[in-house]
Amino acid sequence: MTTLMNRGFLSIVIVVALLACVPFLTASNSVLNFLVTGLLLTLAGQGWNVLGGYGGQYSFGHAAFFGTGAYATAILQVRYGFNAWPAFAIGIAAGAAVGAIIGAMTFRSGLRGSYFALVTLAFAEVLRIVASVAPFTGAGTGTLIKLNVGAQAMQFQSRAAFYWMILALVAIALVVTRLIEQSRFGAWLVAVRENQDAARALGVDVTRVKLGAMTVSAALAAAAGCFYAQYFLFIDSGIAYGTWISVEALLAPIIGGIGTVFGPLLGAMMIKVLGEAAKHLIGDAPGLDLVLYGMVLILIVAFAPRGIAGIVAQVQGWLTPKKGKPHG
Amino acid sequence: MSILIDRRKFLQTSALTAAAAASGTMAAPSILRAQSAGVKIGLLAPVSGALAYSGQQGRLGAQLAVDEINAAGGIKSMNGAKLDPVLGDAQSTPDGGNAEVEKMNSAGVSAIVGGFASGICLATTQTAARYDLPYIVDVGVTDSIVTRGLKNTFRFGPGFGVITKAAIENLITINNNANKPAKTVMIVHEDSAFGAGLAKLLNTALPAGGFEILDTIAHPTPTRDFNNVVLKIKAANPDIVIPANYYNEYVLLARTMQQQKVRPKAAIYSVLGGAASSYKFVKEFNEAAQYIMDCNHWFDPRNAKALELKKKVEAAGQFFTYEVYLNYSCVLLLADAIERAKSADRAAITAALASSTFANHIMPYGPTKFVDGQNTGAAPANTQIIGNDIQVILPEAFASAKPVFPLPPA
Repeated sequence: MTTLMNRGFLSIVIVVALLACVPFLTASNSVLNFLVTGLLLTLAGQGWNVLGGYGGQYSFGHAAFFGTGAYATAILQVRYGFNAWPAFAIGIAAGAAVGAIIGAMTFRSGLRGSYFALVTLAFAEVLRIVASVAPFTGAGTGTLIKLNVGAQAMQFQSRAAFYWMILALVAIALVVTRLIEQSRFGAWLVAVRENQDAARALGVDVTRVKLGAMTVSAALAAAAGCFYAQYFLFIDSGIAYGTWISVEALLAPIIGGIGTVFGPLLGAMMIKVLGEAAKHLIGDAPGLDLVLYGMVLILIVAFAPRGIAGIVAQVQGWLTPKKGKPHG
Repeated sequence: MSILIDRRKFLQTSALTAAAAASGTMAAPSILRAQSAGVKIGLLAPVSGALAYSGQQGRLGAQLAVDEINAAGGIKSMNGAKLDPVLGDAQSTPDGGNAEVEKMNSAGVSAIVGGFASGICLATTQTAARYDLPYIVDVGVTDSIVTRGLKNTFRFGPGFGVITKAAIENLITINNNANKPAKTVMIVHEDSAFGAGLAKLLNTALPAGGFEILDTIAHPTPTRDFNNVVLKIKAANPDIVIPANYYNEYVLLARTMQQQKVRPKAAIYSVLGGAASSYKFVKEFNEAAQYIMDCNHWFDPRNAKALELKKKVEAAGQFFTYEVYLNYSCVLLLADAIERAKSADRAAITAALASSTFANHIMPYGPTKFVDGQNTGAAPANTQIIGNDIQVILPEAFASAKPVFPLPPA
């Protein structure tokens, strides 16, 4: 246990424990709903971060995994009468499988950088179009999971239960990220990010490492999708495979701190807080909150390119100047 | 360095401001903090995002009704308690709508009116159902909204099934009366619950009515280029084009057809056309709008109160669109239920809505009767844009003009 704590898990335990106390501090479902959507974004963002932050493979199409998870969990319940719990697990596996397939096709073709980004975007769009016309997914009318409140159907009356569930998923994602970070696989992944050719020269199986990261990344994004379907009980092609989730999944780690364990959590909460704050400050002027929100986002990205985690590291550096220049 | 410090200060300040403001929002989620002892009602509309125009129109209609009720002395059975609107922006997404319902519930509203899009309504009604919060759907036409057994959900207007049935029957009537000039059809629909659901129903019902469907084209909302769609229409050359999409896409499609000089032989016949029954469309794109037919929500043109409301909306510089009078009617329906419930209690209002016989409204409906949350008296009307006005062509009981069908030569 001490070793575990020493290896950076203590911070995860503290953060998750603090977050787990929130439902005891507030009974407001709107606060819990706000946090649930923030943690949902964290989960998707953490997925993107594993591949983009640690592996340097910038995907613009995480909607492909999010949507697959969401559709799989919904369709299995609605069409095949599956219980929500196994459907949820299969949804994650389906998302991971789609990640592995797309990864195998793109990495084996040697696609990198902007080409990889564009291809992932294209996959997500193709899936969106297919989902919008295929009767199997409910086509444009979407898939509606029947309201059946009860733990056996993973539909909790209390928002707190949903909150703890998504928090548990985020906790798993944080632990997985930390494990990757501290493992040999993580070192290979960072080596691939820093210089793919050099990593290969040193004996790293680049394709396999990227494929592994893509699969884990897709599984986390798919878990977010499964949770979305279970929480809102309705998905259609625009929600499941829409570009909104691809963009938000990459915004969260970029704002929070790319390639850091807590970056997506910080970023997702920042995005959500900014959205709410903008709405609150602007009041009843439709759309103006989004303008303010966008402007602040631009400023953050412009002035803090390493995200919030970067700012924190910089401040730490200033506080301990003798240790030399901070690395963020 | 000083610049760095300034930047840092700025970031600190903005982050603190944001955090403070957000915590304020979370601590006091009522969007409009009401001080009076009135009856709080949630008015939910997508006033930003892709459906912003419709949402803003819907909010306008609901607010006009609230103002009217309050000016007339509020809820009389509750000693003149005023309606206290709590406004929410669904941001054109189901999760945006869901978050607003949570806030409205925390703010203690007695009921919610609105939602607009089918996808938003499906999510928001379910969330409201968790709190036994009565919810009146203003537009959302997909039938599954009222077939899920949610006791809190009511829809005053007609759903897909009723509208499509009327639309097809009326199209056949119009075609038969003109000696059947039209035989082939092409459907262009947006790909969410509304458009796709409608296309599915049309694909079943139109062939049974003797029409051949040449093609069905789906597009997302928003879509900003219809050139390819119009080229397909040109190639297939159908007698009738049926668009089923929201306002912006509808206008763009009609304008692109006009630009490419694509004119179906018989008609552009819309079912719930986003713009086809819109005075805004008639005024701004009069040429592209000529003779377009629509089967849609419409007010009773013989009703003096409806005409008075139309005048009021137009005097305020706004267009009298269906979102306005549907939301207006839904708020009046709710006020009537609260009046009879004599209470702001949610269960009492739900019961009053379920047994509602709301009359003297401005819609061309039969007697109000809710069966599983759907008003069985609700019905659409067929309209046609002729000159600078929109005329009702069917049902004959409300008609103000004869249909122009097939299209006159260009």
